[in-house]
Amino acid sequence: MDYSFTEEQEMIRQSVREFAEKKIAPIAMEMEKTKEIPLEIVKGLAELGVIACTAAPEYGGVGFDAVTAGIVAEELARADPTGSIPVFFLIQASWGHVLNKYGTEECKKEVFPRVTKGEWFLGIATTESDAGSDLGSTRTRITPTQNGYVVNGEKMYISGVREAYTRGGGHVTIAKQTPEAGTRGMSLFYLPLHGQNGPTPGITPTYLDDLGREGISTGGFTIDNVEIPKHYLIGEENKGFYIVHEGYEFARGLISIICASAGLKSLENGMNYIKQRKCFGIPIGKFEWIQFKLAEHYTKLTMLKDLAFKAMYIYDQEQKGKAKRFEVSKAIAMAKMFAQEWACAAVDDVMQWQGAFGYTRECSDQCIWRALRSFGWAEGSKEIMRVIVGRELLGKEFISYR
Amino acid sequence: MEFVVLVKQVPDTTEVKIDPKTGTLIRDGVPSILNPFDQFALEEALRLREKIKDKIETNVTVISMGPPQAKSAIMKCLALGADKGILLSDRAFAGADTWATSYTLAEAVKKLGKYDIVFCGQQAIDGDTAQVGPEVAQLLGIPQITYVDSILDFQNGKLTARSLTDDGYRIIEAKLPVLLTCSTPSSFEPSNPSMASILKANKKPFLTWTADDLGGDKSRFGLSGSPTQVSRVYSPPVRGKGVVYKENIEEAVKKVVEGIMEKKVI
Repeated sequence: MDYSFTEEQEMIRQSVREFAEKKIAPIAMEMEKTKEIPLEIVKGLAELGVIACTAAPEYGGVGFDAVTAGIVAEELARADPTGSIPVFFLIQASWGHVLNKYGTEECKKEVFPRVTKGEWFLGIATTESDAGSDLGSTRTRITPTQNGYVVNGEKMYISGVREAYTRGGGHVTIAKQTPEAGTRGMSLFYLPLHGQNGPTPGITPTYLDDLGREGISTGGFTIDNVEIPKHYLIGEENKGFYIVHEGYEFARGLISIICASAGLKSLENGMNYIKQRKCFGIPIGKFEWIQFKLAEHYTKLTMLKDLAFKAMYIYDQEQKGKAKRFEVSKAIAMAKMFAQEWACAAVDDVMQWQGAFGYTRECSDQCIWRALRSFGWAEGSKEIMRVIVGRELLGKEFISYR
Repeated sequence: MEFVVLVKQVPDTTEVKIDPKTGTLIRDGVPSILNPFDQFALEEALRLREKIKDKIETNVTVISMGPPQAKSAIMKCLALGADKGILLSDRAFAGADTWATSYTLAEAVKKLGKYDIVFCGQQAIDGDTAQVGPEVAQLLGIPQITYVDSILDFQNGKLTARSLTDDGYRIIEAKLPVLLTCSTPSSFEPSNPSMASILKANKKPFLTWTADDLGGDKSRFGLSGSPTQVSRVYSPPVRGKGVVYKENIEEAVKKVVEGIMEKKVI
């Protein structure tokens, strides 16, 4: 058993950490007001080579596996625990992996060079107003035509809509192709919101005002008779439901690491505070009720990080044919199950230790809490994580909704 | 053209604390980094290589003396763009002062055979002696330009550099081979190796040379080759607080002068 990262991975960590501490940490708190990730940061991330780092080198990526992408996510979340940059990273790493593995050569050559340079954004659009965990109730339709496909429908609660619609890029999108086949009739494809010639006709974006991680937009878009070429299909027709889970699981693993890392960063803030702040003449860090909470949170978040990296290791093993699909699903679901709850609980206590200041907008920890809260839903709700683990332990015949 | 860069792995002194009882550095848990002056020296070498690449092909070799874990400092140099890394690592090198270190490094540079410019940082941030660069130049028998903050010109086998002094700078021209010790200008922002360059670094040549590989006079390596010894390290006592005068400038200057007179400083 060897728990260590490779020398190369340690160098990757160090380089990302140096960049992130120098460039990202100083502006992390500004993004909740500016509502965007500064373009020079996006450019810096692109030069560093971490945007869509899972894309193969021939398309401009570096071909990172899940564990190495996890290291990058950990460092970005440490520098920006307020979530915007980690989300910007995790989406493009996860769906970059899917596009790289299942996308056509033509699509990859068109999309990846621009995404990895930070010019375009690559997102994921599966959720609809009435379809999230229950992907089978998706209403968006994709219909084959002579030259490709036509898409109609609406997507909602999607990250990076403004980034893709205004600057360029698109979303890995799921729609029903053969509705009567249920989840076995869904196709996955690249939907450009803004291509080489500007915004895609037929796409109308809407924007939502999120509680946290305000540096990256959230919203939705209607899709009105949008024609896409054949080579935008990702994987085979009607096999989208199966492929999309590989992307979700990649993202869930990264989210778990981000929760652990941002939570640990908040605990660091808390430790600095409780060593200094005095109450009844002594630093409040001397009170056991605070020390015990600190010890518990630190232990839980470290467990979470270890479990998440183990899950990402299993993910990589599957890519090499050394682990089974559902083994990965279970490991990843176990990692994400408590990620948001444990991280938010830790940050909540750090806010509590800081008294009334903890409730002000000046306190960075409230901003961290608002970001982390989103991960109770993002890329698979915490309830669905329990469904997956239960299913894997008891068998599919015990799925409650069937 | 052959450029050699001498580097050292040092504890990150921004995170080092002094043990108040022993006066020594508390190194436990302190991360090790590439000496920042050496990173500037490396980047100067890489910049010069880039500048002359259309006319002259140049190899940049990085050499460091240290324990096996110092490899990571060399790997960073390879990721930043150096072509080859050599780690001088042997128990025989342990306990070296600046003179024995310089001897070891000079022997390694000689072993390379051809070298045109040797780049060093002006000093390492742990020992702060600024002796190794000049000593290596002496042992190699080549000219040196110290405290170089920029290379101004390079042609016809001559190099012109700006060398910082206490009260300004001087422009110095030297024939090759030459050794430069480099001073980091305040405008310098160290580069971060990109992900792709880190992946490439692992494919570049990396060698470890021991005392046997170097040859030379073995009595001049390590502790046995070190004429100096550290008898005690201590922090000087704090002298008392400074005073800030916040009045307008004329009033403040008057008070400063009065203070100086009162304390009989001059």
